[in-house]
Amino acid sequence: MKKIDFTLNGKPTLIEVEDNETLLQTLRERLDIKSIKEGCSIGECGACTVLIDNEPHYACLTLASKASGHDVKTVEFLGDAKLLHPLQEAFITYGAVQCGYCTPGMLLSAYSLLLKNQHPTDPDIKEAISGNLCRCTGYIQIVEAIRNAAGICKCNS
Amino acid sequence: MLPEFASVIPESKENALAYLSSLENAKIFAGGTDLLVKMRRGESCRHIVDITKIHDMKDVSEHDGLITIGAVSTHNEISVNSLINAQAPSLTRACGLVGSPAIRNMGTIGGNLVNASPAADSLAPLLIHDTMVVLESKNGVRKMKLEDFILAPYKTAIQPYELLTFIEIKGLPGYREGYKRVTKRATWAISRLSIAWAIQEKDGLYKDIKLAIGSCTPMPFRPRRIEESLKGLAKNEETIQAAVEEIIYEIKRISGIRPSFAYKIPVVKALLEEVLKG
Repeated sequence: MKKIDFTLNGKPTLIEVEDNETLLQTLRERLDIKSIKEGCSIGECGACTVLIDNEPHYACLTLASKASGHDVKTVEFLGDAKLLHPLQEAFITYGAVQCGYCTPGMLLSAYSLLLKNQHPTDPDIKEAISGNLCRCTGYIQIVEAIRNAAGICKCNS
Repeated sequence: MLPEFASVIPESKENALAYLSSLENAKIFAGGTDLLVKMRRGESCRHIVDITKIHDMKDVSEHDGLITIGAVSTHNEISVNSLINAQAPSLTRACGLVGSPAIRNMGTIGGNLVNASPAADSLAPLLIHDTMVVLESKNGVRKMKLEDFILAPYKTAIQPYELLTFIEIKGLPGYREGYKRVTKRATWAISRLSIAWAIQEKDGLYKDIKLAIGSCTPMPFRPRRIEESLKGLAKNEETIQAAVEEIIYEIKRISGIRPSFAYKIPVVKALLEEVLKG
């Protein structure tokens, strides 16, 4: 077991993890964050995307110990049903959510993009979400949602 | 679930080397994008040496035209590094095209080389920069040319007790340089073909040419003999056609005739012509 110390959605977190535990397991099973999903488990689908120091990472291929000393964000950081983040609002408005499996990861990749680039072009948006697969929407609605959210939200960490 | 192992997280290179020399059946964890995929597919080991907390293995520095890049530098870190962009823009470009944003934030240059996929985007640019690989162990340091380090696809000269700590690349200021690849999709794709080039011209003559072609031969290769023969030749259609033909001959000699060549050879030809014409 290893003790790891990191910031999760703004809160200092200290927890014991197994040596062979992934950050995906730690978040889902020990910290009850069910928004991140296990899809392919080999770093291809993006359903397990988390932000580490505001940059997207696949939690399925990240040993939990690697998060130690870093800032980790999941979609819960953005907002909840009571107070949605403009990106989340836009995903609803533009019909960017169908089954919802990819949505948390998609939102985090989009949020990371908007932190660095407040006026992304469509190619910028497509590149930013290229590691998040969606099998429902065909992506058009997702790109529209991010493009429109970029105009109204000033993302800051 | 990953197979069981015990991990150690050294904070210095010296500690990592001590662990590697004493732990039985140890693997090195850096980005995890290859290692953990292999583990999911059934590979196992007793120990993991996690080198992600060794901060000086992320340093990038320059000395006398040689750029040293820490092996734990991620593709993303390399793609935004201004020193690398100024002297090795093909590497900047290639590292910016690897995988997806998350993969670029995780995967490291050292891991990319140790994994030694023949389709790795970083290889062709590193070859034109005459990259040396620095391998360290408790017993000392050895440096190898990248060409000698990679023995075959997915096979390198690294020993189990060694750590790839740094790579050294020669900066090429004043060259026209780039990297281009052909993929099945615009992004999040593996290269079907790639080419890195650095070319110096003066008064309509080729002064110096460095080319590396990826995904056509078992390992990306540099047609050094042909590069040499182009020095001092006039940049014209005749020179270019002759050079392209020779390079294609060389590719076929190394790889034999492959079914994929019906597609690949015309594409390589077009890429080479475009690059040499500039």
